[in-house]
Amino acid sequence: MSQSVDYDRFINDLSARRKVSPIRELTKLFTTAPPGTIFLAGGIPNGSTFPFSRMTVELKDGATFKLEGKKIENALQYQPTPGYPPLVEQLQKFQTQVHGLDSTFWQKNSLLVSTGSQDALCKALEMSLSEGDPILVQEPIYPGTSAIIRPLNANMVPIGQDEHGIVPSALRSALSNYGSPEKVSSMKKDVPKLLYLNSTGANPTGATIPAERKKEIYDIACEFNLVILEDDPYYFLHFEEIDPVSFLSMDRDSRVLRFDSFSKILSSGLRVGFVTGPKELVSRIELHTQASTMHTSALSQAIVSSLLDEWGSEKLLQHFKMIQQFYKGKRDCMLASANKHLKGLAEWSVPRAGMFLWIKVPGIADTKKLITEGGIEHGVILVPGKDFLAYDDAQSQYFRASYTVASPEDIDKGFARLANLIKAEIA
Amino acid sequence: MNELALERKPSILRELMKNHATASKNVVFIGEGLPHPETIPFSEVSFTLKDGTKKVFTGSELVTAINYLPTQGNPKLVQKLREFMDRFHAPLRWEDRDVIATAGSQDGLSKVIEMSLQKGDAIVVADPVYSGLASNVRPYKAQLISAQYRKNGLDTVEMKDKLTAIWSSRSKDVKIPKILYINPVANNPSGHVISDEQKREIYEIACEFNLLVLEDDPYYFLGFQDELPKSFLSMDTENRVVRFDSFSKIFGGGLRAGWMTGPKEIVRIVEMHMQVSVLHASSLTQAIVLQILEEQGWDGFLDYTKNVKEFYRKRRDQMVALADKYLTGLAEWDVPEGGMFLWVKVKGVSDVLAMVMERGLKKDVMLIPGHAFMSDPTKPCPYIRLSYSLVPMEDVEKAMQRLAELIKEEQAIESQK
Repeated sequence: MSQSVDYDRFINDLSARRKVSPIRELTKLFTTAPPGTIFLAGGIPNGSTFPFSRMTVELKDGATFKLEGKKIENALQYQPTPGYPPLVEQLQKFQTQVHGLDSTFWQKNSLLVSTGSQDALCKALEMSLSEGDPILVQEPIYPGTSAIIRPLNANMVPIGQDEHGIVPSALRSALSNYGSPEKVSSMKKDVPKLLYLNSTGANPTGATIPAERKKEIYDIACEFNLVILEDDPYYFLHFEEIDPVSFLSMDRDSRVLRFDSFSKILSSGLRVGFVTGPKELVSRIELHTQASTMHTSALSQAIVSSLLDEWGSEKLLQHFKMIQQFYKGKRDCMLASANKHLKGLAEWSVPRAGMFLWIKVPGIADTKKLITEGGIEHGVILVPGKDFLAYDDAQSQYFRASYTVASPEDIDKGFARLANLIKAEIA
Repeated sequence: MNELALERKPSILRELMKNHATASKNVVFIGEGLPHPETIPFSEVSFTLKDGTKKVFTGSELVTAINYLPTQGNPKLVQKLREFMDRFHAPLRWEDRDVIATAGSQDGLSKVIEMSLQKGDAIVVADPVYSGLASNVRPYKAQLISAQYRKNGLDTVEMKDKLTAIWSSRSKDVKIPKILYINPVANNPSGHVISDEQKREIYEIACEFNLLVLEDDPYYFLGFQDELPKSFLSMDTENRVVRFDSFSKIFGGGLRAGWMTGPKEIVRIVEMHMQVSVLHASSLTQAIVLQILEEQGWDGFLDYTKNVKEFYRKRRDQMVALADKYLTGLAEWDVPEGGMFLWVKVKGVSDVLAMVMERGLKKDVMLIPGHAFMSDPTKPCPYIRLSYSLVPMEDVEKAMQRLAELIKEEQAIESQK
């Protein structure tokens, strides 16, 4: 049974004061104005002055597409903030298909293309958090997110993970510290209202939350009236037979803001991501975007849109399968080196998705000290676990290693050196 | 800087990327979570310009155009932009400044506002002011202290008087502004260009009242004078100018190609905010801009911008001629000195809101009421902004006829009140 969510609870005063640009509003009006209406209200430059006549993109599979004529003009011109319209439509269809969304979904929810998914996440946190607000976060947490939260003077309430992601009982327990579900649901201040997590191949633990556990977590979110920030850039980088079940797919209440990214699957440099969620919240992000980046690069969007058109669903799915196979192989390679060099010195779980191996060194109190002092000397750099903790004064016994880019030789060399570093420390 | 800005710390992983770039080749980095180039489906991206020149990105150039970059920007482009600033502005005290590529110049502006403003702060602007600035400062309930554009330029006496009054006020409610926002070449919406002389006056005021000068200059190359204006940056002896440049009106707004030049400390804060939001401006956009600048050289670039300028100047002339023909006696305007807008004051009508938004739509003409550009948008406003950038001149003529009728009808309504 779905509840009706009062979204004002999740919007801070500053965000609530954002207003629509009158020019953007008029531009929207123009699209439905009678033919013969003359529009002198625009503020855009004349596309005929732009220097480009054509862009051509070639793909590794031999496919080619061009942007010319009207298409290149559009790719160079200002766009509506929610996104290049053909791409927005494609992405809505994509989301509907991938997450099994029903026919009423797009009445309550909307989608916005963002300059990388992280820009939308940043704007969502800036939209919702006020000074002193608690926010529930998976721990360890991607440092990019904690770097957004900290200057806002919000307090991270860390929820521990096991190999399957955040632990529902830990989540419930943390929330109960603030009161009963009835009490917490109705308060706007001094209680946590947001839950931030990675659904698939979490950064840094590599954990994927199984469907059953997701349902438990979602139910807790309903009980305590939370919005779930589903940050899922590795959704297609899994090593299972079927795609994971997302929070978005089970969101009967419209309390999920989902952040998707093309960075790990098509291109990181084009800066194309998208956020899907309740209209009331996505519109706040839209207004902030309107005042800052205005919209994601139209050229980037046109390229992604053309590529999706060129490939169609089948080739796109094939591409995802290729990536999954590729990274699985890289993962296995790293696991082999880990088994060879680090057995007895360190522990780890097998990542079921993503890019990272999360390595625990039981014999060491603080890996940050270890790598800062010994890393360069021994010739190996990994990211110390401390960087992924909510609190500055905490220590961590973990390292994050990434298997995506380094060559098998480098991985092996690196782990051999790490082993030496650890042995030297323990001795 | 507000507290939020002071609390920003560098993003660990982005800083790690910087370290990687400068570390010894002997060190093995297995920390960074970067996608592997083999998983990226692109093999070649190329663009052709209208002048026939073509550029193909493959191999390592494609990698740079398609993959993650440092937040500050494509290093070669950042260097090119420094040279660009040297060529056109010759800023003093380069060692105290830096440059950062942004996803459109407005993102830089937005981040400087967010770095600086606290709720209720005051900010000095010239009226009428670009509505994008208002979108950024209104959520902070900012007070806009405005100086008006008049026939001879910006009323700097008014600016100085208002600032003096604020500084000598004993009232707690009066906030002392820290920022001056100005769009000095072809001000959007009024089309005014501030003279070099007046810029110096304004700069002195900024020094006297300790203001950061936000020089928002997307139409810098679209001023209709023969000489390029002297920028605030070029006269910035005290390192208090943050300048926002843009390729939007020259290469295409869709690219989101802008950059910011300013004091190192301010660039650093903006960099840290970008590290956790956009990460960096589109790599492909940056690669393209770099290529064009390298290909054209400074002379080529100037020639190119001159053509763009001529395009808009011609359209300005045409629109002003049509305004002369249809609106004389009904409205007043200053001839735009650059850019793409005509700022028209309707005579005999105190507030054009209903005229534009209701009756104008019924007459099938869409204009922007000036309220969006006034420091107090709730006050009655007789101005409208017309754009001469896009619409074919035959349609502009029709629109002018309709506007003339609209004004006459409106004046009749007003005189009956």
